[in-house]
Amino acid sequence: MSTEIQPYQVEFDEYLRDESRSVGHADSISFPKNEDELIEIVRKLSKTEIPVTVQGARTGLAAAAVPYGGHLINIGRMTRILGARYDEQDNRFFLTAEPGVLLSQLRKAVSSGEFEIAEPDDLTQAALCRYKAGEWFFSPDPTEASAALAGMVACNASGARSFCYGPVRPYVEALRLVLVDGRTLHIRRGEQKAKGRDFCLNLDDGSYIIGKLPDYAMPKVKNASGYYIEEDMDLIDLFIGGEGTLGIITQIELRLLPMPKAVWGITTFFPDEKSALRFVRGLRGEKEATGVEFSVKPAAIEFFNHKALDLLRIQKQKIAAFAHIQELKATYYNAVYTEFHADSEEKVWEMVEQMNQMLEALGVSPEDTWVANNPRDMEKLLVFRHAVPESVNMLIDQRRQKDPAITKLGTDMAVPDQYLDKIMDMYNGEIQTNGLDYVAFGHIGDNHLHVNILPRDMEDYRKGKALYLQWANAVSAMGGTVSAEHGVGKLKAPFLAVMMTDAGIEQMRALKAVFDPQGHLNPGNMFTMKKEGDA
Amino acid sequence: MNIVVCVKQVPATTEVKMNKETNTIIREGIEAIINPFDTYAIEEGVRIKEQGGGKVTVISMGIPKVADLLRETIALGADEAVLLSDKAFAGADTLATAYTLSLGIKKMGPVDLIICGKQATDGDTAQVGPSLAAKLGIPHTTYVRKIEEIREGTIRCQRLTEDGYEVIEMPLPAVITVVKEINEPRIPSFKGLMKAKKAEIPVWTADEIAADESLIGLKGSPTWVVSTFVPQHNVNSEMIEGKPEEQAKILVDKLLSLQLPLSK
Ligand SMILES: Cc1cc2nc3c(=O)[nH]c(=O)nc-3n(C[C@H](O)[C@H](O)[C@H](O)COP(=O)(O)OP(=O)(O)OC[C@H]3O[C@@H](n4cnc5c(N)ncnc54)[C@H](O)[C@@H]3O)c2cc1C
Repeated sequence: MSTEIQPYQVEFDEYLRDESRSVGHADSISFPKNEDELIEIVRKLSKTEIPVTVQGARTGLAAAAVPYGGHLINIGRMTRILGARYDEQDNRFFLTAEPGVLLSQLRKAVSSGEFEIAEPDDLTQAALCRYKAGEWFFSPDPTEASAALAGMVACNASGARSFCYGPVRPYVEALRLVLVDGRTLHIRRGEQKAKGRDFCLNLDDGSYIIGKLPDYAMPKVKNASGYYIEEDMDLIDLFIGGEGTLGIITQIELRLLPMPKAVWGITTFFPDEKSALRFVRGLRGEKEATGVEFSVKPAAIEFFNHKALDLLRIQKQKIAAFAHIQELKATYYNAVYTEFHADSEEKVWEMVEQMNQMLEALGVSPEDTWVANNPRDMEKLLVFRHAVPESVNMLIDQRRQKDPAITKLGTDMAVPDQYLDKIMDMYNGEIQTNGLDYVAFGHIGDNHLHVNILPRDMEDYRKGKALYLQWANAVSAMGGTVSAEHGVGKLKAPFLAVMMTDAGIEQMRALKAVFDPQGHLNPGNMFTMKKEGDA
Repeated sequence: MNIVVCVKQVPATTEVKMNKETNTIIREGIEAIINPFDTYAIEEGVRIKEQGGGKVTVISMGIPKVADLLRETIALGADEAVLLSDKAFAGADTLATAYTLSLGIKKMGPVDLIICGKQATDGDTAQVGPSLAAKLGIPHTTYVRKIEEIREGTIRCQRLTEDGYEVIEMPLPAVITVVKEINEPRIPSFKGLMKAKKAEIPVWTADEIAADESLIGLKGSPTWVVSTFVPQHNVNSEMIEGKPEEQAKILVDKLLSLQLPLSK
């Protein structure tokens, strides 16, 4: 029976870790198959003092789904798409899904139009009649397509295309949640808002939760650190990026976007870092960077530094799955990936020609590019991009065999535009001063790089950790964020404390306490609740 | 070295939907792409050219829209592309297709090597490459997974088999059909794309290749598709030994002894 709370056994070991490679422990585990079963489990637990960790597909990189004792609810069996809705007036298409639906599963359904909805209601049937495969897409793409939707919502995940389309947040139209005490909540965008910084949230049973929002200001960059707070905010946004600390998501309504007619991906290789950075700034519309006016917003601007390409060159020799990656010429120092979306091929050509002028101004040959304008080649570029974080993980696994205490130290920080060059100099310079091994890649359009420090031994690991904390301070001082997309989880809680200061953390604790006074839900994520007797 | 690569337009999906009444493939509403195996043929041609010099010309028989896909092959490194397109070609089976392609290739002048993909993903017959060689009266090797050497008018290649590979050497000109183990097709560069955008794709009609009307299109196609199904693979191989003449005799005797139904 799937409402069963099973005692923990070694066969469940895989559920104790996520892609951060940290390993926790649990006393019991459950695998609900639907909302009713999940509610029943939560109600049983609410009568105890047992803390609960919820997990999706465990692709998270901050140990947010890793339990440190108590009960573990795995939503991996709640994988149905439940319904669809078409809003004719604004030409918007919505899908309702269970929390464990994987991104890959959703994408497949969206592209094929085969949703396999078991009992479609009238709205769904009407919507599906209007649905044409290939006309819609779901824009969030956190690279790892095996992520679950609830995990993505809980982390407010982003991805390459967030440069243009934003993170998951604006695409979440409605949520169903169960609170730690077993009460449920159905919240739809636009229906329940805060008044200034005060809020009253109505629950399904007629009861309500009254509380006060923290008064910190959100950093003006892409961000996934701490509760999303805004005056008069829509209360649904509290749960998006809330890392599962306020409620358990049992249903998600997502909004799809009309599919652009033309999608092109272009990887350009540069001979040095300065010219790559000028190109990035040029693409963002900063004319002074290249002298060329660039008038459109690319869907994505991604970067792979020289160390990332070097690592790929090595892994390509060793790993069969990477052998298919195109040859990386010795003259390629680093790479910038750009994606263009438009209503017609002609429009993309216009963008591409402007981009070519920029390359000319930078002295980069049009031969040093990979241009994909069909699904076959787009897939190849995706494999290339995905191979970088995967290579990092493989390398770390190797090093852990020598010393299991070593983990990857991956940053997820973003800063405002004007600090791009400064932050790159900071990363490169301080890594070199400390003699560390690293690769850097990611969403450079948002000044959001994943610097992955790759410790060779414990000495490196300690140095890396110290450096990380130092960067958290520097980035916070620039008005940036310590986590722009992966979430804070357990691993980045010390950095959140730097960014938010004690006052901010204290206000977040107070907000959590109105939903979960005992701090039983996803304990340890973002911050720890103070226990009685704590100073 | 003059290299010709044959490509076909196929539907982007692998799940081919059939019209049950006419037993033909439903092509409406499905995006058209270059037959995936042909992209390996193009890449191999381009690599041979890059190493030893020469020219790669792509040829396809198809509807006028195929010109767009041919442009794509130029982005992938081909020098030129030719489209054989005429209403009279419509409805061609593998035999008529091979005949039509052979005329197009003859019109190009002397050719050293012709490369095809091992099969098209829509029909899956794998017949056009070998038929084309027969029409041109030149040797062929199918399922090539590696070209070991091209030298002094010969080609030596590895032919993929179920349990390994055979090494085959043939005089040039010759036809090879390639499997995807042979290489990794490149992603086009900007330079390739710009070239493709400007490229002119000549279109040759039945008259221009001096085709015999009775051998092209539906008229020239003896194949009738009665039904299609996925074959059960249950292969029992038996190697026949002896001199070629003896082998041929043994084979014919064996086939006759099976009393297979013969077409009239
Ligand atoms: C190779 C690689 C590349 C990646 N690249 C990106 C990237 O580019 N951008 C990006 O944003 N992310 C990226 N990620 C990480 C990303 O955070 C996760 O992929 C995803 O957002 C988490 O989904 P999940 O289902 O795996 O969640 P999990 O890791 O299982 O959990 C994450 C959080 O969600 C919570 N949660 C799960 N289910 C529920 C629920 N039902 N209710 C409430 N809370 C819940 C958990 O408690 C936890 O706090 C990458 C990961 C990998 C491995």
